[in-house]
Amino acid sequence: MGDQKPETEGYVGQSVRTIEGRAPIMGKATYTNDINFPGQLHAHILRSPHAAANIKSIDTSGAEKVAGVVRVVTGAQAAEYIDPIPHYIDPAVFGGRSATIRCLALDHVWCFGQPVAVVVAEDKRTARYAVSRIVVDYEVTTPVIDAEDALKDDSPMVVPGWDANMIMQIPFGGGDVAKAFSSADRVVKTDVKVHRFSTQPIETRTYNAVYEAGTESLTLYGTVQNPHPLRHVLSKILRMPENKIRVHAPVIGGAFGMKMHGHPEEGLVCFLSKLIGQPVQWVEDREECLLIGAREQVHSVELAVTKDGMILGLRDHYLANTGAPSSCPGWGMAMLTGLTMPGPYSVQNLDVQLSAVVTNKPGWNASRGYGKEVTALALELSVDNAARELGLDPVDMRIKNFIKKDQFPYDSPTGLIYDSGDYEGVMRKAMDIIGYEDWKKQQEEAREEGRYIGIGVGFELTPEGGTLPGTLVAGYDSSTVRVAPDGSVRILTGVTTPGSGNPTGIAQIVADELGVRLDTIEVVQGDTTTCPYGFGNSSGRSTIVGGGSAAKAAIEVREKIIKVAAALMEVGESSVTMKDGIIVSGDKTIGLEEVCYACYTRAYDVGSVIDPPLEATAMFKPGLVRHTPNEKGQINPYPSYSNAAYVAISEVDVNTGEVKLLKFSVAHDCGNVINPILVEGQACGAIMFGIGAAMAENITFDENGRQLTKNFMDYVMPRIGDVPPITLAHHDSPNPVNYKGLKGAGEAGVGGSAAAVVNSVNNALSPFGVMMTETPLTAPRVWSAIQEAKKAQPQRKVA
Amino acid sequence: MEDMLEDTVLVNLRINGRLHELEIPAHKSLLDLLREDLNLTGTHMGCMTGHCGACTVSIDGRVAKSCITLAATLGRAKITTIEGLTQDDGTLSALQQAFWDNAGFQCGYCAPGMLLCTVELLETNPDPSDADIDTALAGNLCRCTGYQSIRRAVKAAITTTKEGAPQAAE
Repeated sequence: MGDQKPETEGYVGQSVRTIEGRAPIMGKATYTNDINFPGQLHAHILRSPHAAANIKSIDTSGAEKVAGVVRVVTGAQAAEYIDPIPHYIDPAVFGGRSATIRCLALDHVWCFGQPVAVVVAEDKRTARYAVSRIVVDYEVTTPVIDAEDALKDDSPMVVPGWDANMIMQIPFGGGDVAKAFSSADRVVKTDVKVHRFSTQPIETRTYNAVYEAGTESLTLYGTVQNPHPLRHVLSKILRMPENKIRVHAPVIGGAFGMKMHGHPEEGLVCFLSKLIGQPVQWVEDREECLLIGAREQVHSVELAVTKDGMILGLRDHYLANTGAPSSCPGWGMAMLTGLTMPGPYSVQNLDVQLSAVVTNKPGWNASRGYGKEVTALALELSVDNAARELGLDPVDMRIKNFIKKDQFPYDSPTGLIYDSGDYEGVMRKAMDIIGYEDWKKQQEEAREEGRYIGIGVGFELTPEGGTLPGTLVAGYDSSTVRVAPDGSVRILTGVTTPGSGNPTGIAQIVADELGVRLDTIEVVQGDTTTCPYGFGNSSGRSTIVGGGSAAKAAIEVREKIIKVAAALMEVGESSVTMKDGIIVSGDKTIGLEEVCYACYTRAYDVGSVIDPPLEATAMFKPGLVRHTPNEKGQINPYPSYSNAAYVAISEVDVNTGEVKLLKFSVAHDCGNVINPILVEGQACGAIMFGIGAAMAENITFDENGRQLTKNFMDYVMPRIGDVPPITLAHHDSPNPVNYKGLKGAGEAGVGGSAAAVVNSVNNALSPFGVMMTETPLTAPRVWSAIQEAKKAQPQRKVA
Repeated sequence: MEDMLEDTVLVNLRINGRLHELEIPAHKSLLDLLREDLNLTGTHMGCMTGHCGACTVSIDGRVAKSCITLAATLGRAKITTIEGLTQDDGTLSALQQAFWDNAGFQCGYCAPGMLLCTVELLETNPDPSDADIDTALAGNLCRCTGYQSIRRAVKAAITTTKEGAPQAAE
């Protein structure tokens, strides 16, 4: 791939097809929604139609009369049996305000769509109908929708009892910001408004809980990214020990953060199954899925710059509208936005402050990029704006300010330690592969014809493998490698897959380390009863720590196999090699199965040189993380810093405001690549997220806080014709401490690509003086911006 | 339902080559019939409004969104689901193989729509342009791939089909 040849002749570095891909392509993969138990019951949830209200009374008698209804439960009834939902990332750990979150509202609702009551019935249609027979007497109160309004002195409180609508305010940065700003030639201010958008996997969330009275134990089958940590959460909600709970995640139909836990429905279906004694399933509908938002942030970025484009200092006091409190980890995204400032730029004078605000919109959940995509948007739009103000080329200005490749490891002003990189090289490669200079010529020619082509770049630094102290967001993970008497291999790992292909990547690693054929390996994930304790899927970690730990375990098992093989062949261990399941010493050859069978069956003669079984469990904990605060109180929660540059080419129809993307490129540094075709798929998928974010995906509300976005006609995601051809190249600077130099490849790209799109549109419309820094760039908005710019600059001659 | 209080329609359907005679409640979607009554769970629920395409099936040779199709209206229809693309012995069709080989899917949830729409495309247009591919798949959302590998997979399927690889099973 790229400039590099695969390290070995093995599987690592090869674009092998996924070992887990056969079932889905046959329609035979089992997703949670496909599971149906004998006695299966179905839950449907009554949700608040108001953004803020007191619940005066609930009358469930109408629902209870519906034939086929098994049970109706209100918040007050549920509270007798279950406790509040522990936070995935508790704001209190970071000194913030922490609200009590329940599966069903008690006496007050704080957002549209909040669960109020639930019906369990024999079929889903009956459950849905019966919900409409519940009568709730609400006393509607004034909601707070806007983050700035929420901070006004006379604002109603979203959370009863709080003295401010604020989870927390956190400063990030250091240096001498005042001096940087006073010595600058210019201060360029850019207001970047990022709208509320969401990940929306095509498979919605589903949970199916089975309580077994005989063993007083419970199994939750669910669309779950992090089974072990969820088990802990369920144990607290249900007042059950963890060893009585099993969480099993079957095949998952995309996650992107949405299926990280804290959702009220997880504990709710478990409680209902326990209460009723039958399996209870809940399937999220699309309207419910669209309630979960993220990323609504208002940035006010000030760059203190010299006239030749050096950034001396950066100030950004930003507001995040995180919606109503939620136990999901979404709110933490806003924190990571600040922590990742100033991204790839060598700026040490930094004054960044987050205000994480609560409002009466529904809460957030984690979304691909986890706040780092908003850092990229805010920075990259600001740099383009500054370059235009200064009359500089936006690429030159970036390169001038990039951290240089000989400056790693690099201490950022927020306390991060960047592991490695060649940002200029990455940027130049992205430009080369798309033919940047050629597009500039095409742009000029097009303008002469009255067509507006735009060229935009965006850079994203995406720290990966994150771990937060005092939370179950851990930096390490573990895997077990087992080789059976027939020589077949089973890997059990604590990491999970949302469908991204990491089981195949992990299997490729083990095939090479163990010396077996890839098709003899099976990977088991997502089950708290069979897999070693692990932290699942998040933060681009699965191949880093799942692969790293599986490699260590494989090496241990291989040593055992080699020892017994040597004993069988009566040769020295050092002369024995094993590849593709063939064991060789000089001119002697022996098959893997014969050796494995001997390991298990001849423990008192040739097998006595090892302790069977052929099994090892190992843990991999990446370095560079620093959880002990430095003298400024800062931590570094990330072991690796993937990065990428994006170039977008667009054409704007100035009569309609419609933007068409013509071409895209990305140069990507994710460390060494295990499987190029799968990494490419991750990069292209993230770019599509960025295109959707920049162009159309938007969750909107009316003035009373009722959500208007209800389906895929309202929430417009890119379709195949909206995504232009994407050219990809790698420019890898391997991580110095991770196994194989991996940096993580799944999460990066949403912000950098969205920024490239926005910058390309602004570039296309530069003859009009248009500079849009509020997303999304829908056609009406682009058209309006053109009209306003024309009005503001009537003297400007445009074609 | 046991009391037959619901309106039902007696319907003959051929699904993946197998004939079914079913008394179907009038309100029941084809999606629910396939998934709940016939255990054909390869057809997926994504939105229930006909926008995402995860529930796509082929009805009499034309793709349809099964979530917004009433099963009781399909008397004498010939339906193919994703399960019907694989041969009885487990051999994948050239199209399935091309999608697998080219990473034309990640999580696989949208695969029913991508595959069945491509089947219809290639039956009517054996040599489609990029624009033809985009049009044929416009009704199907994929949230994982960014569509690049889907285009590649479709083109690979065209190449293998031209070279005479086995066609999709009926």
